[in-house]
Amino acid sequence: MKPLYRSFAMFIKQIFKDSMLFMVCIAVVLTAFFIRFGIPAAEKFLCSYFNKEAILLNYYLLCDLFLALMTPYMFCFASALMMLTEYDENIASFLAVTPVGKKGYVISRLIFPAGIAFIVSVIILSIFSLTEWSVWMIIIICLLTSVSSVIITLFLFSFSHNRVEGMALGKLSGILMLGLPVPFFLTNKFQYLFSFLPSFWIAKLCISENGIYLLLALATSVIWISIIYKKFSRKMI
Amino acid sequence: MIEVNNLNFSYTKNPFIEDMNFIVQSGEIFGFLGPSGAGKSTIQKILTGLITTYKGNVKVNNIEVKRHDSSFYENIGVDFEFPSLYEKLTSRENMVFFSSLYKKRQDIDTLLESVGLLKDADKKVSDFSKGMKSRLNFIKALVHDPQLLFLDEPTAGLDPSNSRRMKDIILQQKAMGKTILLTTHNMYDATELCDHVAFIADGKLRALDTPRNLIMSRGAAKVSYTYMCNGKEVRNEALLNSIGNDNMLQKLMQENKLLSIHSSEPTLNDIFVELTGRALQ
Repeated sequence: MKPLYRSFAMFIKQIFKDSMLFMVCIAVVLTAFFIRFGIPAAEKFLCSYFNKEAILLNYYLLCDLFLALMTPYMFCFASALMMLTEYDENIASFLAVTPVGKKGYVISRLIFPAGIAFIVSVIILSIFSLTEWSVWMIIIICLLTSVSSVIITLFLFSFSHNRVEGMALGKLSGILMLGLPVPFFLTNKFQYLFSFLPSFWIAKLCISENGIYLLLALATSVIWISIIYKKFSRKMI
Repeated sequence: MIEVNNLNFSYTKNPFIEDMNFIVQSGEIFGFLGPSGAGKSTIQKILTGLITTYKGNVKVNNIEVKRHDSSFYENIGVDFEFPSLYEKLTSRENMVFFSSLYKKRQDIDTLLESVGLLKDADKKVSDFSKGMKSRLNFIKALVHDPQLLFLDEPTAGLDPSNSRRMKDIILQQKAMGKTILLTTHNMYDATELCDHVAFIADGKLRALDTPRNLIMSRGAAKVSYTYMCNGKEVRNEALLNSIGNDNMLQKLMQENKLLSIHSSEPTLNDIFVELTGRALQ
């Protein structure tokens, strides 16, 4: 396991040496502060301005969900861009012929960042959430958002030829987050047009706390991952 | 050391690597020669375990490659054609990191010194020239003192003196008992370094022998000479093995009238063209 950890440590070191990717990781904390303190302040101001009891309050859960998805999304985005840099520098194929191996490289670049993203998002959601969350719900939601964010890494790495393309595609990959607000604003059957997005089922799970949505969120993530992984694997050779 | 039996592989539905068989003995330098797209790099990827979806048997160090584990790489060093280095790190930092992945390690300063990079050890790789990166990439493959080396165009892009230095290190490694697989389309490197050469074209093994046998099997060496006749320079050729029967040459030598005389053997490129209808370069 030592080569794997050393390779992962180098990966993290490279991210920290890259000011843009470092800022991408820090952006999560800044967003958390904005949601925790900015949204309630805005709510207070809007309510007094429009003389209403609640305007944004009904969407506090959506803000929390956005925060829960934002953390692994940003981490996996940084991870994908660093993988593209390593791909440009031929590091990826070289590490595959060292004791790290191809499998080790995939684990250290996909699973480890998602694992760290899970821990960080649990901490962030515990500290900065606007609504009340049970410990189990935090763990389940953060696990699901972390798994679904692996899709981002796979997607960006597989479909970009270089880092610049990766950044452009990063914006497009934000579509995967689009499922979050759908159950909040669409309550009729048209909401199921977004059922191919794991984020849609994650939001449904949070709203109704029905276990079937957990399975559907997991299933859609696994389907996405298995589809893109084939292309990812071909690019890795 | 390496045993390949009935190897078949293709990236698409069309056949590419077809029915390939060869053995690489321990301690030899084995060269793969062929033009770009011939399948040399694909064979190297199969032998190094990057491609495991092949058909047939490929054994490296008595391990079937498709069933290798991570310890497989403790004894294998790979030098890809294009440098694989962290550009933001110094050459020493790169070497320290890559050596940390292995159980066995060589002294980094000695390796850097061997390719003339010790004075640039603390320079970032992004500031290196192409040749410096190639040299650093090469010693990266030696950092864990592997028994088996895969070298892909190790002298490409190097000036003559550094190319010589690299070739000397390759021969030094061979003298230490290492087995080396050299992938190249440089016939001069192959002739000088390799004990056996395999010609690859369109995914097929077209010939396999020692460079000398390949050269000698395709016609004897020739001697060409020139002399003056009626105010004009005339050129003649004679086969080396029947040079004694060339009366004109003997006469010119006795009369000291030769303007020039050269021996010329066919090159590996000539033989490759003859066998495959394609050039190496």
